[in-house]
Amino acid sequence: MTVDPNAATQGFPSPEPPRPRPHPARYLIPALVAAAVAVALGAYGKVHDPAGTAFNLAGFSSTGAVKSWLATVAFLFALVQLVSALMVYGKLPGPRWSSTLHRWSGRVAFLVAVPVAVHCLYALGFQSYESRVLWHSLLGCFFFGVFSAKMLLLRSERLPGWLLPIVGGLVFSALTIIWLTSALWFFRTFGVTT
Amino acid sequence: MKRSGPLFTLLAGLLVALFMLSLNATTGEKTAASAVKESPSTKASPSPAPTKATPSPSPTPSRTPVSEGVYTGRTDDDSSAVAITVRDDKAIAYVCDGHNVEAWLKGDVKADGSLRLTGKGGAGLEGTVKGTRQISGKANVGSGSYAFTIDKAKKPSGLYRANSSVAGAKIEGGWIVLPDGLQVGILRRDGKPSPAPEINPETGAVTVDGDKLTARPVTP
Repeated sequence: MTVDPNAATQGFPSPEPPRPRPHPARYLIPALVAAAVAVALGAYGKVHDPAGTAFNLAGFSSTGAVKSWLATVAFLFALVQLVSALMVYGKLPGPRWSSTLHRWSGRVAFLVAVPVAVHCLYALGFQSYESRVLWHSLLGCFFFGVFSAKMLLLRSERLPGWLLPIVGGLVFSALTIIWLTSALWFFRTFGVTT
Repeated sequence: MKRSGPLFTLLAGLLVALFMLSLNATTGEKTAASAVKESPSTKASPSPAPTKATPSPSPTPSRTPVSEGVYTGRTDDDSSAVAITVRDDKAIAYVCDGHNVEAWLKGDVKADGSLRLTGKGGAGLEGTVKGTRQISGKANVGSGSYAFTIDKAKKPSGLYRANSSVAGAKIEGGWIVLPDGLQVGILRRDGKPSPAPEINPETGAVTVDGDKLTARPVTP
């Protein structure tokens, strides 16, 4: 009588069940949410009549100045994001709290960017009359989509190692171009003024 | 264990956005902010016109140092055009970039030759008269701040406006005809802005979507 070593017997630990394959939902849901956010922002920007309202803060000469400085603050925190991400992944020497720094500088950058984007969408809308504003409008919508994707992807474990850096890189690149097509343009047109 | 931080971050962003939108929606014509630079009551005229209130032997209105008429020109950064039309001690101004940034502003011309005009959405214009044929100042419209120095204009240079309805759509147009003949204007169809078609400044005739309209010169 041959012994079947795989036969389950009392007391014999059953072989571990094979690791479950990553469910496609962990990629699909963030991607779908990202697309929905980006499209919704773009649609709102196109359909809503730009109100041209002002947003005044003491000490600043105009709404554009307020937004340009807020956007620059967001961009500076985004640079901290880039450096802290490199530290988290060990590409740069960094302190133990690099990941905490990355999370919190990211939160600050995002929350500072939100009022700027709200005014942009509400008062100026999605514009395409020149390439600068077209890129700004497209990437502005894209930025909030890809940021949402990154936030949702973070909740999954066992992601391919290259995914978060790529998505994070897209967030950073988008914000950079958004800043170049708005705040930098503002400072070059109106001067580096408050 | 699923991390909750990222979801809270997204939620916080959404809350900030909703808060900002509620400020915008409830604010209307006044500026929205925690600390406003100018007092929100600049729109209210502080005093009635001087001669009408006090008894005076001569019936003529008080002379304003700025000569009546229309002033037109481009902004210092050349992105937009400004026109100010003055009659008695009232002024109407129009700032327009020919794409989607425009504002109509109005207010008084003070005895010392200064103007402080306001418009919807927090738009504002401050100016002073230079000599008898020039107004110089700064306009805040939308996100931008536009410095300008503009001269008294001769016909057909001037400020024109048309309000009508074409094919069921509400049409609002504003035009600045500059001294060199160039026109800067915005036409809104049901509120959606686009560069305005050219008008004939002699007659004000303009064709919008096949219909002939008439743009009229603006006076306070």
